[in-house]
Amino acid sequence: MRGAREVAQRVLSRVRDGARLAWIFGDRVGDRTVLRYVVSDEGGLEEHPGNVLGPVPSLAAELPAALWHECEARDRFGILFEDLPESRPLVDVRPAEELRRAESPEVSTVLYGPIRSGIVESARWIVETAGEDFISVHPSMFFKRRELEHRFTGVPLDLAAHVAEHASGATASSHAAAFSKAAEAALRLEVPERARATRAVLVEFERIHQHLDSLAKLADDGSLSVGSSQTFAAKERIHRLLAEATGNRFARGVITVGGTRFDAMSRLADVCGAQLDRLEAEVLAVLEALFSTQSLLDRLIGTGRLAREVVIAYGAVGPVARGSGVSCDARLRDGYLYTPMAGEESLESQGDAVSRALVRRAEIVRSFRSIRNALDGAFAGEHLAPARIEDGCGIARVESPQGELLYFVRFDGGIARVALRSASYANWPLFVPSLPGNIFTDFSFIEHSFGLSQAEVDR
Amino acid sequence: MSNWILYGLRRGILTTRYPQRSGAMPAGYRGAVTALNAPLEEQRAGIAACLSGALQEGSPAARVDALRCYQCGECVRRAPTAFAISPAFEVARLRRRAASFGRSVHVRHVDAGSDGSEEQELQAIFNPFYDANRLGIFLTATPRHADVLIVTGVVTHPMVDPLRRAYDAMPHPKSVIALGTSACSGGIFADSPDVAGPVDTIVPVDVYIPGMPPTPLSILHGLAVALGRAVPAGGAIP
Repeated sequence: MRGAREVAQRVLSRVRDGARLAWIFGDRVGDRTVLRYVVSDEGGLEEHPGNVLGPVPSLAAELPAALWHECEARDRFGILFEDLPESRPLVDVRPAEELRRAESPEVSTVLYGPIRSGIVESARWIVETAGEDFISVHPSMFFKRRELEHRFTGVPLDLAAHVAEHASGATASSHAAAFSKAAEAALRLEVPERARATRAVLVEFERIHQHLDSLAKLADDGSLSVGSSQTFAAKERIHRLLAEATGNRFARGVITVGGTRFDAMSRLADVCGAQLDRLEAEVLAVLEALFSTQSLLDRLIGTGRLAREVVIAYGAVGPVARGSGVSCDARLRDGYLYTPMAGEESLESQGDAVSRALVRRAEIVRSFRSIRNALDGAFAGEHLAPARIEDGCGIARVESPQGELLYFVRFDGGIARVALRSASYANWPLFVPSLPGNIFTDFSFIEHSFGLSQAEVDR
Repeated sequence: MSNWILYGLRRGILTTRYPQRSGAMPAGYRGAVTALNAPLEEQRAGIAACLSGALQEGSPAARVDALRCYQCGECVRRAPTAFAISPAFEVARLRRRAASFGRSVHVRHVDAGSDGSEEQELQAIFNPFYDANRLGIFLTATPRHADVLIVTGVVTHPMVDPLRRAYDAMPHPKSVIALGTSACSGGIFADSPDVAGPVDTIVPVDVYIPGMPPTPLSILHGLAVALGRAVPAGGAIP
């Protein structure tokens, strides 16, 4: 294995040539510390492992996408990065007294969180403000760190996807599918087509309910109570269908390494056969009504604008990237869960909250078509291929509702290391550059237009 | 320009009558695990598959800790003679006696380390299918106005102080609900040193609503239990 210094240089030149820096994370193999860089380009994912023998040059000064990853590798593995532009630990949960820092009398420091109003996940921002304007905003997060990655160690292979589902219960199918794909890559395991189609159906339903969640919250921010309630009602219909078809409203406990735990496809096909047309009509009707409510759209236009170059520099993924015209859809590449997915990638160019909302609307339409494609395939055969642990490692991705979700799995006798990089983790740092020019009351609009999950960030 | 009033009227009344009338989950819903009478050797395959330690050997049947179960269904699949799962949703348990509030209560939510789905199901009780407002249940943004504190998630170390402060800021009488298996018992993190522990190790809990996540009907039932309007499952917790 090469030294990490050399690997860092090589990765930097790959990114200069147009690849996207997706992930950097630490690993302990025997008594060696290994730094693993992951880049993505047209050809798919590439992992570049490097032995850590001393300080490693930081990429964060040139690539903002590297910042959180390098901070986390430093904090967890004691890896020294030369010229890392952030000395604070990534997990910054210090008490309020230690954080007041505004010095000018016109500027006040507001600590927003970790407990906020309404039904929201815990997270905190340090906001410096002079009245309505943002002067600076610094995320101070990871209050919810449960050390989920540690929880995989020693868990039997056939139960481990349950742990992955705990990373983000609202997107449990994406997490179970991405973890399983990484394990299958390590074990060189072929998954039966019927199981792959089942996974695709579940992940696309998940995309629909999470996009509806984001849109319902935006409608609520815009004081559109009936629109918000009706969008939440459409979301409820998806959960009811999933409960009937899979036994759980978020389709937990279906996907596992090698396929699915039971033959969910036949029940899914029955339930969808009876209900999908009506469900799709309901969802499309609420979207039509939302996107013809000009007062809501006016509130979103120009809000939280992200330039294409910023999105590229931060390595953003999912609807946040696509709203700024940056193509990034794992469904188009590396033999997704089941190909072909329906339709073209949905891109918008303005980079504001309405662009991200329009991307979500187009994706909901496309997800319904993809579900139909997967169901119409009527794949016969098994739902599960037997899996046996062999030493080795694998990396894989799934396009979760928030965007590209990556898992790494290493086997050494049993499960030795699991790491995950969620789409929310990749996208949160962009919240800061989306704020200048906006005012305090835009905060929740921008937050909900990102549509991220805190649990999968903190994990 | 869309007309939301017409849009809502066209859809008619969606709202459940629960808890005045009975509610139901679909037949295949994995709600509550029960143990069947079975010899120890038939119980073991199911017990070994439980990542949260909810199951223990017992005679004539295994013992199920409902507050630890995350409803994955592995025990039933691996030991079908020893375990069964039903679509039961009235699973909330009461530790003390229900607090006496009037007809209307204000609820404050705190996320202490959830997986994110508990929040979405709590949000769902306000959607038109459940409409918790019709039961006099309202959300409040400040602990000063709160009668009931709903806590989601296993409590992580950094959330211990914020949770305590939210509890202390509430006026008396007050009631605390642990919402979700992780909040009730820690779930798969029950024995993990990386977290502080279940909610009742930090603040006193009155009502436990297990489930991963609990369905909106389970949450309505749990709220009704907390308000003394419904019968808890499985008797009081010692």
